[in-house]
Amino acid sequence: MTDMSLEKAPVAAEAAHGHGHDHFAERSNNLKLAMWLLLASEVVIFATIISVYVVFRVGPDGSKVVEQVHEIIREWPGIWLVTINTFLLLTSSWCMVMGLREIQRDNRQGLIRWIMATAVLGIVFVALQYVEYTELSHNGIALFNQGNELDGFGMRFYAPTGFHGAHVIVGVLWALFVAWNAKRGNYSAKNYAGVEVFGLYWHFVDVVWIVLFTVIYLV
Amino acid sequence: MSDEKHNAESHDSGHDHNDNFKLFGREFPLPVYTGVFIILGIVTLFELALAEIIPRGGLTVPLMLILSIGKAALVVWFYMHLNKDSRIFAAALIIPVVMVLITTWFLTIVPTFAY
Repeated sequence: MTDMSLEKAPVAAEAAHGHGHDHFAERSNNLKLAMWLLLASEVVIFATIISVYVVFRVGPDGSKVVEQVHEIIREWPGIWLVTINTFLLLTSSWCMVMGLREIQRDNRQGLIRWIMATAVLGIVFVALQYVEYTELSHNGIALFNQGNELDGFGMRFYAPTGFHGAHVIVGVLWALFVAWNAKRGNYSAKNYAGVEVFGLYWHFVDVVWIVLFTVIYLV
Repeated sequence: MSDEKHNAESHDSGHDHNDNFKLFGREFPLPVYTGVFIILGIVTLFELALAEIIPRGGLTVPLMLILSIGKAALVVWFYMHLNKDSRIFAAALIIPVVMVLITTWFLTIVPTFAY
């Protein structure tokens, strides 16, 4: 994650060496490589828990259970709630890149507005996910087995979606941090690596949801 | 890193002022990011229609999965800037996914019960 020292270091380097632009580019590349490596480990974790769900889904017991769960979701307007959540995340990703676009044009206020919109959309996503979890648990879909015909589904459902929700919460906090950094003037058209790296994380969270939406709720 | 020069160049050109969205050779007066967002929204609605409204056929599930992968690729390509950054970053996504796909396929062919 970026911190204050990371944001300020290039300024000092520029003053000292007079070739700050190369330094910015190199630092940006290093930060992005680090973020991509972190994302690689995240891919392994998400792919593993999603594959656990898929193996259950294609199995003889799992397919019956999932059909029943889909019926429950259709009776209560859960699929529309999840679709709204999907659009919230897609919109937040768009807000994120529009914020990056603004800082690339040296518009700090624009960056702050878009990043705050990203954070708000993330908060609404988590709130709606809480509503969804509450409704599902009232319908007998809980984390642990309840002794009903839906046993086995809950853990395989809540693990990937809950883990994803935790990432959204971290992303919201990070977005607020980026906005705070922007307000302090730590980003500019030549120094926005912190925004870019946060963007990689946030878009990754969006990508994971795109997959979860299809694999868990639609298929 | 051999990609460093390429990355530095992409970093320099990060704010292209003519970043209008182009589709099938036609240019639209909106940013690329917005164009991609509109496509993502349309494809999501189509996926929902496939799942909830259109009667399911044998190709429905594969089609939904292809659409989902396409959406994810759009986000990675345009929003995560793989179209400008070093392609080596793509390995961070592709290698683990391929490994897990192979593992999942293997798990699904293992007999569920002992003989």
